[in-house]
Amino acid sequence: MNNVKPRRLSPYWWPLNFIFFLILFPSHSFSLPPTERMSLQNGLRLIVSEAHSLPFVTFQLIIDGGSRFDPPNKEGLSYLTAKGLLHGTIKHTSKQMNELLDFMGANLHTDSSKDYITVGFKVLKRDLFQGFHLFMDAITLPVFPKDEFHSEIQRTLGIIKSVEEDPKELSEREFFKTLFAGTPYGHPVIGTEESILKLTRNDLAAFHSSYVRPNRAILVITGDISLNEIKMDLMSRLEAWPAGNVLPTSHKQPSAQNTKILTLERAISQANITLGNLAPQRNNPDFFPMIVTNYILGGGFSSRLLTEIRAKRGLAYSIRSTFHFKKRVGSFLVSLQTKNDSAQEAISIVLEEIKKLQKEPVTDIELEGARKYLTGSFPLQLDTQAKLAGFLAQVEFYGLGEDYAHNYVSCIMAVTKEDVQRVAKKYLNPYNYTLVIVGNLKEGRFRK
Amino acid sequence: MNKKKQSVFFSTVYWVFLVAALSSHPSVSFAEESSGNKTFEAILSNGLKVILLENHKAPVVTVQVWYRVGSRNETWGKTGLSHLLEHMMFRGSKRFSAEQFVRMIEENGGKSNAFTSHDYTAYFVNICAERVAIPLELEADRMQNATFDEKKFATEKKVVIEERRLRTENNPQAYLYEQMAATAYQVHPYHWPVIGWMEDLEGLTVSDALDYYHRYYVPANAFLIVVGDFSRQDLLPKIEKAFGCLPSTQAPQQVVSREPIQKGERRIVIKREGLVPALMIGYHVPNLQNADGYVLEVIEGILSSGKSSRFYDRLVREKQIALRAYADFSLTSFDPGLFFISAEVLVEKDLTTLEKAIDEEIIRLQTEPVAMEELNKVKNQLEAGFIYSQDSVFNQAMVLARNEIAATWRCIDDYIPAIHRVTPNDILRVARQYMIPENRTVGYFIPLPPQNIESNNSKNLIVEEEYTR
Repeated sequence: MNNVKPRRLSPYWWPLNFIFFLILFPSHSFSLPPTERMSLQNGLRLIVSEAHSLPFVTFQLIIDGGSRFDPPNKEGLSYLTAKGLLHGTIKHTSKQMNELLDFMGANLHTDSSKDYITVGFKVLKRDLFQGFHLFMDAITLPVFPKDEFHSEIQRTLGIIKSVEEDPKELSEREFFKTLFAGTPYGHPVIGTEESILKLTRNDLAAFHSSYVRPNRAILVITGDISLNEIKMDLMSRLEAWPAGNVLPTSHKQPSAQNTKILTLERAISQANITLGNLAPQRNNPDFFPMIVTNYILGGGFSSRLLTEIRAKRGLAYSIRSTFHFKKRVGSFLVSLQTKNDSAQEAISIVLEEIKKLQKEPVTDIELEGARKYLTGSFPLQLDTQAKLAGFLAQVEFYGLGEDYAHNYVSCIMAVTKEDVQRVAKKYLNPYNYTLVIVGNLKEGRFRK
Repeated sequence: MNKKKQSVFFSTVYWVFLVAALSSHPSVSFAEESSGNKTFEAILSNGLKVILLENHKAPVVTVQVWYRVGSRNETWGKTGLSHLLEHMMFRGSKRFSAEQFVRMIEENGGKSNAFTSHDYTAYFVNICAERVAIPLELEADRMQNATFDEKKFATEKKVVIEERRLRTENNPQAYLYEQMAATAYQVHPYHWPVIGWMEDLEGLTVSDALDYYHRYYVPANAFLIVVGDFSRQDLLPKIEKAFGCLPSTQAPQQVVSREPIQKGERRIVIKREGLVPALMIGYHVPNLQNADGYVLEVIEGILSSGKSSRFYDRLVREKQIALRAYADFSLTSFDPGLFFISAEVLVEKDLTTLEKAIDEEIIRLQTEPVAMEELNKVKNQLEAGFIYSQDSVFNQAMVLARNEIAATWRCIDDYIPAIHRVTPNDILRVARQYMIPENRTVGYFIPLPPQNIESNNSKNLIVEEEYTR
């Protein structure tokens, strides 16, 4: 009966698995564990951080081949290619792979997001060598067998249905579709019913051959392994992974939009609201003022939105704002759920709070609180092998620089009240926004 | 072996010395350590148990206070009180306002939250090791000084009602789960959901919460657990300083009515708007108080741990009738719980076929001895999972605390050995004893097509464009 009820929504309980939200920062008294970085001949970037307190090793591979590279009418291709890596290789069938991995107690999983494909792997030290080769087989030697492919298509159709059944996920899906319409960031990572039914095994093989290549990949290894062991035992296999051609990149930027309100009728007791606008990409000079601003508005448990909507009025259990930063685009959004007939009130409060942030400077206490939290909580973001590996991979992927962690504290501390007001005006838009409401529209007075 | 014994011996001597050194704080009445890991226990004179585990791999600590109270301690008509009280614990005390509390945690880079289950209510702060004194002070304070303002109580009740809508009312799977428990348990308080019935929540009052707080939030009914980068000799005086002055009160009684033995299968059907048909099966089973609990832990692994597990390999991959299929069992429930099987139907397949396929897997457990290779695989998985879980101080504390709630944290020492003792015969016997129709509840969720939507929602999406400024 482990039906635990967490009190508040927090990253502990609701992993934002489809969204990149970097909240990983150092404090004054903390520095990154020592890491080694190197580039192999085939273009693979390798980052290693040793930690020998527990007898296991974590691998995190990220590949520059997310759903933004799905060709038109082949939405879901990156996702199905990622899933297909586990469907069997030249050496093993899917069933054999599963047996071998489970026998070691190893975890191997693949996924795709808008920017990149991830392959995560965790294995006990005693099985490192055998496990590593299975991991590399999956990445480099997949065969995408017919039966497994068809069964994955059926599962993906099932997952699409599950999303439609979940009003919160549905609301966010429609939000991103609308905000990024006409760009490679618009469609859902898992594709649509129409698009995935048109995909073939050849599409997967071609996508794999173009994108799953060392010159597009970053591999982070953390845990009970030394650089010497990597050089002796793993390096030759990593080096044997053949590089691919450099692919031309073009990117269509989303265009600024007028206010769009989308409503979706569901016979449910809450309106699931997503409201927001376009924002810049991850690597932009205003990143630090933006995360400070977001923390004050709707990031922390002392945020303005949480105080106004939850603590004072009891309108919602979960209310938060976020910047979602991607490689080429970004977005700002507020997400909340409230009983249908409170929806209009909650939306007005959100818009008023954004306007207030643009009109008046934040208080000294708010600014200081945000700085202290964002710098002080850094060690908590790196306290497991997987969290550290994820951090190192993303710093590399988004090109944040080797000194990113080192400079972080000073960058946060340099943010001023004027900066907060400036970025609030520049990147939050309470006049032209995209708003999605999934709920009982009559009770919410969105429809007569 | 010899070496290990020796280090334990030295640790014990060290600990006794520490207690002697603390004799100026006479409230520490008892201290000892476990042989299998480096966990230490002390009990303050007011009855508060303190569990400490040093782990220096990262400069962080988790500080957690667990109260032995959850929805199993509630009464008919007052369901959801434990969880609502947990919310109120964040709304201020005589010493610190709600705003001050959050600020003290967040300005020190901490993350704080809480959770309530059938058996416990737990509060945690994860924070930089050097700031460990802050959560100690705050937790000790709210153990006795929480305030219950009428207006804040009314607001928090609304928040919980929204939480219930979010988690249960608008989530068919969660709704089915709730109905399953309410059917499987008729007498025992596992009958009602942790979050409470909507109808009961409306009627809860400040005085209900206050009575409950005074009865259950006492040192003798709680324990403090700290895991992370600290040294015991530095930390214990801090704990003593923060919690030692709390008055000693008797622990409340924990007896609740036992669930009578089920006589015959119970079946329920939920029909409501949705898209993916699902089913659940729940068997009454023992917890870790009974050696069969560990056999069930292994059965859970055989059925659904990893992609080579029987459910994934057969139902999801091979037969392609399930979108997902899981077994779920909690070894550490306070009273005997349910062994759950839950599955969602893959597009165009039906629930009866899925139930039949699951039944075949149960019959297989009862009739074919598990091959040693498969059994060893599951044991390896459980052992590896146990090692992986030690990477996070938060998880380490959770595992110790859940064992402490169910019996004692020392059970953790026996976890891996007990798993290794499980034989193919044990699995046959346990599957035959508990996993029988007479002992189960079966629930179906049959989705009704959305009423206001013809077929495909995206075709029904209403888009309005407004032109403003």
